[in-house]
Amino acid sequence: MTDDLGHEACSSAASADRSGAIRAARAVLAQVARQPLAIHLEACVRCGLCGPSCLFYRTQPEPANLPGVKAAKVADLYRRYHTWLGRTLPRLIGAKSLTVEALDELADAAFGRCTGCGRCGLHCSVGLDVAGVIRVGRSVLAAAGAVPDGLRRVVDNQLQTGNQMAIPRDEFLSTAQWLSEELKQETGCDSAGIPVDQPGRRILYLVNPREVKFFPLSLLAAAGVFHAAGESWTLSSQIYDVTNYGFFAADDHATAELVGRILDQADRLKVQQIILSECGHGFHALRWEGPRQLRKPYPLPVRSILELLNEYLVRRTLRVDPSRNAQPVTLHDPCNLVRWGGIVEPQRRVLRRVVQHFVEMTPNRHDNFCCGGGGGLLSMSEYGDRRIAAGAIKAEQIRATGAKIVATPCHNCADQLLEISKHYKLGVEIRSVVELVYSALLAPGREG
Amino acid sequence: MIPARIFVLLGLIWASLGLAFRLRAAGCGSRDEYAPRVGSATRAIWYNLTVGLWPGRKESARRHPAEFAAGLLLHVGVLLTLAGVGLLLAWPVLAEGFLPAIRPVLPLSLTAGLALFLRRIFSRTLRAFSTPDDYLAILATCGLLAAGMLAAGAPCWQIVLLLYAGLVAIYFPLGKLRHAVFFFLARAEYGGRLGYRGVYPPQATETECSSDG
Repeated sequence: MTDDLGHEACSSAASADRSGAIRAARAVLAQVARQPLAIHLEACVRCGLCGPSCLFYRTQPEPANLPGVKAAKVADLYRRYHTWLGRTLPRLIGAKSLTVEALDELADAAFGRCTGCGRCGLHCSVGLDVAGVIRVGRSVLAAAGAVPDGLRRVVDNQLQTGNQMAIPRDEFLSTAQWLSEELKQETGCDSAGIPVDQPGRRILYLVNPREVKFFPLSLLAAAGVFHAAGESWTLSSQIYDVTNYGFFAADDHATAELVGRILDQADRLKVQQIILSECGHGFHALRWEGPRQLRKPYPLPVRSILELLNEYLVRRTLRVDPSRNAQPVTLHDPCNLVRWGGIVEPQRRVLRRVVQHFVEMTPNRHDNFCCGGGGGLLSMSEYGDRRIAAGAIKAEQIRATGAKIVATPCHNCADQLLEISKHYKLGVEIRSVVELVYSALLAPGREG
Repeated sequence: MIPARIFVLLGLIWASLGLAFRLRAAGCGSRDEYAPRVGSATRAIWYNLTVGLWPGRKESARRHPAEFAAGLLLHVGVLLTLAGVGLLLAWPVLAEGFLPAIRPVLPLSLTAGLALFLRRIFSRTLRAFSTPDDYLAILATCGLLAAGMLAAGAPCWQIVLLLYAGLVAIYFPLGKLRHAVFFFLARAEYGGRLGYRGVYPPQATETECSSDG
C-alpha cells in the first residue's frame, strides 16, 4: 500500500509523522505565498544563464548545481499548491507535490549545493533573489524536520546551552580569566582585562564561541583594542554567542529565540549598544533578520566591530603603525556581512590604516565569491567534498593577489579558508581584522 | 474587427485581474522592515532597473553575449508588436502606418526567438529543468511575432494578430509569460531591499591600494 506521500506505509505512526511533516512544509509555502518573495518564486524564466555566478556550478558544472535548477526545486513545490495551473495541470508547469522524495531532493539542493551567498541573484538575468528562493526551501525543510543532522545538532546546542559549541559557563569564565591575566601582562596595565557581566557599560560585545574554545587570541586582540581605546564594554557569561545557527537552518522560531535572548542580556546589563564580533551570518541574522522576525525595532543599536574599529581610527582614538603588518594582506568579503549586510567599506578603511600593503581580490565587495563554507556547510560533514571543491575559486582569487595574509571578518569563513589554504597549498595565514589592528597598535607597553 | 477588439480587451481585463490577484496575495511586493535604514531604497531600485541590467554589471549577460542579444532582440520585437496591437485597438489609423514601419525588425526578432527555442531543446542543462510551459511560452511569443509580421505585410491579417493577442493575454497571467510584469517587480523588490541595507547601488570595485596609515 502506498500512502499519499508516495511511500510504502510501513507503520501508521511513521505515516502520521510524514503527514505531519508534509503539512508543516505546506504551511511554510502558504505563508510565503503572502509575502513579496512569492514574486521571485513565480518569475524564473529558466534561462540557465546563472551558472557562472555560482561557485558550485563553476567548480562542479553539473545541472544540479545550476542556481536555477536549485531554485526550481523550491518553486516547483510552491507552484503545485499556489498557482492555478499548478493545481489543475501541474505537469504543464513542472509543478511537483510535496513528498518525502521531493524533500530529500530539496535538502540536497538547498543545504548541500548552496551557501545562500546571493551572488547569483545579483547577476540573474531577471533579477530574482535566487538565494532567497532557495532559503524558502530550507524553511520548508526546517518545518518538515528535515534539516541535516550536523546542522540540527548545532542549533540544538545553541538553544539548549546558549552557545553553539556547548561550552560550559565555567570554561568560558576560566578562559576570560586567563585571557585577562595575559592582557594585563602584555599591556603592563592592571585595568586591562575582559569584563564579564558588568552592568551599565556602553557596549555588550558578542563573540563567536570558536574564539573562546579554539582561537582565544582573537578575543584577546579585541580586548586589547578596547583597552587601548578606553572603551566601556562587557561580555555576558550567559549569552555571548554572536552566531545564529537557527538562521542557517532557516528555522525562524530558533532564529527569533536566539535574537531575543541577546536582547534580554542587553536589557539585563543595561548597555547602550551591542557590538558584534567578526561574524558574517551573525551580523545578517541580528542586524537585519532579527527585527523582522520579532516584528519590531530594537531598543538599541546593533553594529559590527568593524564599524567601531573604523570609528576609533578615524577619531584617532587608537594609534597604529602599519609597518607592524608588513606582509601583503588581502581581504575576503564574507557574503552575509557584505552582500547581504552592507558592511563594505569599514573593513577596507581599517586595513588601509593598519597594514602596509593591502591588495584587493578580484572580484571584490558585493561581487566577491563565497569561500564555500557559508550557509552552515561547515557543520554538515556529508557535503565536505563539495565544499572543498567549491573553495577552488576562492583559492585562485587568493593566489592571484600574492598576499601572505588573508584577513576575513568572519570566523566561519576563517575555518573554511584555513581548510582551503591547506588543501590548495596556498601557504597563507588567516587573520581577523581585529587581530591585525591589535598587531599594529601603538599602546603603552607595546611601542618599539 | 470589432468582435476581435472586444476579445482582446476581455483578454487584457482577464490578464490584469489575474496579475492583480497574485500581487495582492503577495502583499504587492512590499516588505516590512524594522531594522534602521542604512541606504536609499529608491536609488537602488532605479539602479537595478537601469544600469544594473547592462552586461557590464550583469555577469549572466556579459558571459553570454549571444543569448543576451537574442533575448534583447526578441523582447524588442514583442514590445513593438504589442504596441501595434495597442494601436489597432485605440487608433487603427496610426496602426496602418506603424505596423509596416516595424516590419524589418520582426523577422530578426522571430529568428532570435526560434534560436532561443532551439537552445532550450538542445542544451542538456536547460532540458534538465525546462517544463512544457517554457516551450509553450517561447512558441506563443514566436507566434505573436509571426502574426505581427503578417499583419505588417497585409492589413487583412490584422484580425489574426488581434485574435492571437487575445489568446496570449488569456495565457499571460497563468504561465511563464507573466515574467513580463514580474521581471520589473522582482528587480524593484530585490533592489529596494539591498538598497535599504546600503548594498545597492554598488560602489566601483578597486583592485589594489596601499596603506594610508
